Amino acid sequence: MDTRTAIKEWSLAIRVNHWIMVICIFGLIITGFYIAHPFTVPAGETIDKFFMGYARFVHLIFGVILTFIFLWRVYLAFFSRFHADWKDFLAWTDWKNFWTQIKFYLLVSEKKPEHKFLYGPLQSVAYGGLLAMLVVVVITGVILMGVEYSLGVTGVAYAAVKPIQNMLGGLATVRFIHHIFTWLIILFVVVHIYMAFWYDVVFKEGTISSMVGGRVFRKPHD
Amino acid sequence: MGKDRDAEYRSKVSGYYHQLMEQCQANMDRMDRELPRAREDFGEILKERGVTRRNFLKWTSAMTAALMLPPIFKPMVARAAENFSRLPVVWLHFAECTGCSESFLRTSYPNVDDILLDTISLEYHETLMAAAGYQAEANLEKALKDFPGKFVCVIEGAIPMGLDGKYLTLGPKGKTALELGREVTSKAAATICIGSCSCFGNIQAAKPNPTDAKGIRDALHISTVNIAGCPPSPQNFVGTILHFLMFGGMPPLDSLGRPVWAYGKRIHDYCERRPHYDAGEYVEEWGDDGAKKGWCLYKMGCKGPYTYSNCARIRFNDGMSWPIMAGHGCMGCTEPAFWDTMAPLEKPISEKPIGGWGVTARVDSLGAALTGAAIVGIAAHAGLTAAKGHGQPKKAEPDKESHE
Ligand code: HEM
Ligand code: SF4
Ligand code: SF4
Repeated sequence: MDTRTAIKEWSLAIRVNHWIMVICIFGLIITGFYIAHPFTVPAGETIDKFFMGYARFVHLIFGVILTFIFLWRVYLAFFSRFHADWKDFLAWTDWKNFWTQIKFYLLVSEKKPEHKFLYGPLQSVAYGGLLAMLVVVVITGVILMGVEYSLGVTGVAYAAVKPIQNMLGGLATVRFIHHIFTWLIILFVVVHIYMAFWYDVVFKEGTISSMVGGRVFRKPHD
Repeated sequence: MGKDRDAEYRSKVSGYYHQLMEQCQANMDRMDRELPRAREDFGEILKERGVTRRNFLKWTSAMTAALMLPPIFKPMVARAAENFSRLPVVWLHFAECTGCSESFLRTSYPNVDDILLDTISLEYHETLMAAAGYQAEANLEKALKDFPGKFVCVIEGAIPMGLDGKYLTLGPKGKTALELGREVTSKAAATICIGSCSCFGNIQAAKPNPTDAKGIRDALHISTVNIAGCPPSPQNFVGTILHFLMFGGMPPLDSLGRPVWAYGKRIHDYCERRPHYDAGEYVEEWGDDGAKKGWCLYKMGCKGPYTYSNCARIRFNDGMSWPIMAGHGCMGCTEPAFWDTMAPLEKPISEKPIGGWGVTARVDSLGAALTGAAIVGIAAHAGLTAAKGHGQPKKAEPDKESHE
């Protein structure tokens, strides 16, 4: 029998952050695609319909929540009282371990990568990449939102990112970039979900449940 | 409490407009003294062209509102209109199609904007002047000498920068657009760019831009007032000149040099089809039922959500119609590089192809293909992992794993 001990890996803050982000991203992908490729609502009078209006409303609500969730996640990376994990995003700098991990993940070698950081080298690239993608969708999203809602906090946020709108070459390009990054995020989500299950199966550490309960079950010397 | 604040607000606003009015009057008195005398009487011209007093007053109201001024400024707008033809203008044509001049000057029946443009004091206009060759050149030199720092330079067209500007030479001396632009704008009181070509380069600067054409701002590194559009609405030009005559300076500009009073909001913000957009009612193909009902043109490639302009409010041809009213989406003609950024013009922006090196695909096709490939890869990976028992302690060598 394996002897494994429970180690707390994720603080409550990180877990809450993670699942809210999941809900937001799924909501944003669905409503976002409606905005990009709307279908006509056939029945009823115009005055009784507000489908695109609601789709945009939901998208913006999730978008604003995601913006704050993102900022909170970055805050936690530096100031979490449980474990500020910003250094773990640099796990990829250990090139040797990176190579070992790639070979293990590509099933060409049985040698497992070492467990030096909270994240493996590949994970550090993927999660860092997700945060970078979020920076892009949040900034382009805030521009698209600020164009229409120019009061209060939105107005202040918009004023801060407005130069980027011109730099990118106008709203059409902003919107196009927002759309491209939607696909990159979808790719991340697909691979991320699979890898989480795979890791759970291969390492038997309870990866999936760890994002709920916070604990992984690891062999003591790993 | 609320009442006090209302009163305070009102007194602030009226104080502000009083100050503005004083400034306006002082400036117009100065202009009256300094501008060259009118060649024809404006009242006479209006009468000749069949514009009644009543029509003229209606026009002043509309123009005052368009300039976002309160009604007390109506007499000022009228006075500025009377002085309109006294402002010396040098009108240059560079790389363009002359469509802007055409659209300003050829109208089926005249309204006040058109008359103003017809009577504008053109010291030099390459399309309209009777002179040619050395005589034309002499006219230009005379204008620069007679009105240094007083005339307004209007530019239609982009400047090709390639080959040292030699893609475009003008006049008997073969000056490049670059030289001529530098020479004239350096002596002008202000430079107004008419149309997207002079503002942002437009089609001359569209990819691959063989002549390296640029808008005036980028080519000459000067500040310009950009009346963007392809062609722009005459009212946006007339209003800007009126503002100059009234206040002695150009109106507030956005970060791309466009007057905020005309280009402060998007097409989408004022579009009469907007309720259909919000409701989810779209024209799906040209001439379908939705098209007959005037539904939103978003799926037919309308670029109104990305385009800053007042077309929806002032319309074209004396308020008769405008592109979206006529049934076609906006193409985004007031935005920089719109041929590139707004393409494909009759498809939504999400249908824009992506790629390079000879391979292009729609983003959604590409995204779906990549996601599909990822899923196939995942299935193969999962199958192989299970088949190999990857990462699990092997029966034959049970200890090796646990020591790692
Ligand atoms: C995972 C994150 C997100 C995804 C997947 C996503 C997806 C999308 C998509 C596919 C579109 C349509 C683009 C097109 O027409 O081609 C869109 C539009 C838009 N998104 Fe997002 N988005 C995300 C985050 C955000 C955020 C954080 C904000 C704002 C704070 C935001 C605000 C907007 C706005 C304002 C629009 C344009 C709506 C309109 O013009 O009617 N999005 N989004
Ligand atoms: S027709 Fe164009 S500008 Fe008008 S509501 Fe539809 S998308 Fe917006
Ligand atoms: S509706 Fe759009 S394309 Fe048409 S003139 Fe106005 S800004 Fe240009």
